[in-house]
Amino acid sequence: MNPDKSNLKKRLLKNNVFYQSIKLFSYALLIPLAFILFYIIKNGISYLNLDFLIKMPAPVGETGGGALNAIIGSFLIVGLSGLIAVPLGILIGIFLAEFKEHKINDLTRLSIETLQGIPSIIYGIVAYVWFVMPFGKFSGISASIALALMMLPMVAKATEESMKMIPYTLKEASYALGANYYSTIKKVILPSCRKGIISGILIGISRILGETAPLLFTAFGNAFLNFNMAKPINALPLLIYNYASSPYQEWHQIAWSSSLFLIIIVLGLSIIAKNVIK
Amino acid sequence: MKKDTILTVENLEISVKKNKIIKNISLSFYKNNVTAIMGPSGCGKTTLIRALNRMHDLDKSFKVKGSITFDTQNLLKSDPILVRQQIGMVFQRPNPFPNMSIYENVLAGYILNGIKLSKDEKDSIVDINLKKVGLYDEVSDNIHRKGSHLSGGQQQRLCIARTLAMKPKVLLLDEPTSALDPKATTRIENLINELKKEVSIIMVTHNIEQASRVSDYTAFLYLGDLIEYNTTETIFTVPKDKRTEEYLSRKYG
Repeated sequence: MNPDKSNLKKRLLKNNVFYQSIKLFSYALLIPLAFILFYIIKNGISYLNLDFLIKMPAPVGETGGGALNAIIGSFLIVGLSGLIAVPLGILIGIFLAEFKEHKINDLTRLSIETLQGIPSIIYGIVAYVWFVMPFGKFSGISASIALALMMLPMVAKATEESMKMIPYTLKEASYALGANYYSTIKKVILPSCRKGIISGILIGISRILGETAPLLFTAFGNAFLNFNMAKPINALPLLIYNYASSPYQEWHQIAWSSSLFLIIIVLGLSIIAKNVIK
Repeated sequence: MKKDTILTVENLEISVKKNKIIKNISLSFYKNNVTAIMGPSGCGKTTLIRALNRMHDLDKSFKVKGSITFDTQNLLKSDPILVRQQIGMVFQRPNPFPNMSIYENVLAGYILNGIKLSKDEKDSIVDINLKKVGLYDEVSDNIHRKGSHLSGGQQQRLCIARTLAMKPKVLLLDEPTSALDPKATTRIENLINELKKEVSIIMVTHNIEQASRVSDYTAFLYLGDLIEYNTTETIFTVPKDKRTEEYLSRKYG
């Protein structure tokens, strides 16, 4: 059979159109990202200086000032969330990966996947009902619990996925040396999945760092510097939310700078998470 | 030639979901000898050797019946952790722990069992066992690097060093050279010859030449039955059973 020249041309053209449109749409995707970054950098860079990190917000009418209370609040809330979500998430991940035959394994997997799909404001409401109403006050702890619930599925999934990649022969090798189940998991399997778990944790942290909705019902915000997690506490997303909707020009500036600060941290965490896996 | 026995298997029967993989096997393994277990694929040789250090406990679908006597104790009724500390195993594919350095890999048995050692004890265990497997000179410069950088043959010798470090009485080798090139295979075979002075070795092999080169005794398994068990010389020169003879002349396999 002779090759059909005209058909070949058509096919090559089709191929080329397909190839070019993949490239085109990939580049098109960069446009909104570039606009967001450009806009935030342009508006936020002027106030993002040392003062921003170490000073409290200035009173209305005064220029300058920083976001110290929100920065500290954000780190405290996210830190406590991590302390709750990381150990729990790793344990759940081990259960998902190791006990596939167990009768509640499917149920656990379903719960974890459902948790991932719940809108973040629901977490806020749940934490409000569980921890704000009974104690009669907003608190950093209740915010941490709401965010920990959001982070939990990410840590659990990352643990499960990385444990699945570990060859069974490693476990056999450990058992053959007389190790029990606990030390096999602790000293062989988990250290071998360290990279995957760490990157899951970092992505989880960068995800909850920018969450606003759950904090509205829990941390509530605080105009003063507060280290007490049992009291209302400020956080960067709350500060952005409150200041951006205020009528004051100086506060808008702080909100822009806070946005830039958040984006730098989240971007940094994502880059670290990617490099950890390599 | 009468030898001391180290392990006695009696009426061993292993089944997976009603399928009998090992059908009522009895045999004794001799001290400071190399015993090769050979046979065509699916004859149950790996299943047999894995029963000796209770690896079947990992998979609930395996049912093991009979008795395996080691030092007056029935291994099938002992604690699997104690059994595995006395009867070490090296697997088909080299599997050094990727999270540990070469140094830590040799000490892995101690680390995993939570046995505390002084720095001097650790150093001497690592030195002695790396020397035993002929790895000392090759890795002494980067002993604290990860073991996964080594070649396949080196990794397998590291795995043998890791097993020897626990001072087992019996060393089980499950096709230890099947993933290695001929040169690395020769090194391991020479090593097996050296090691039998201090440990009794039971190895599974599908390589007939390997069995004839390194073993003192050979067991021939076929479809879960022990067809013939004798000194390697006898098996290879005057096999009693027709099936052994046919296997050795590669009529099947």
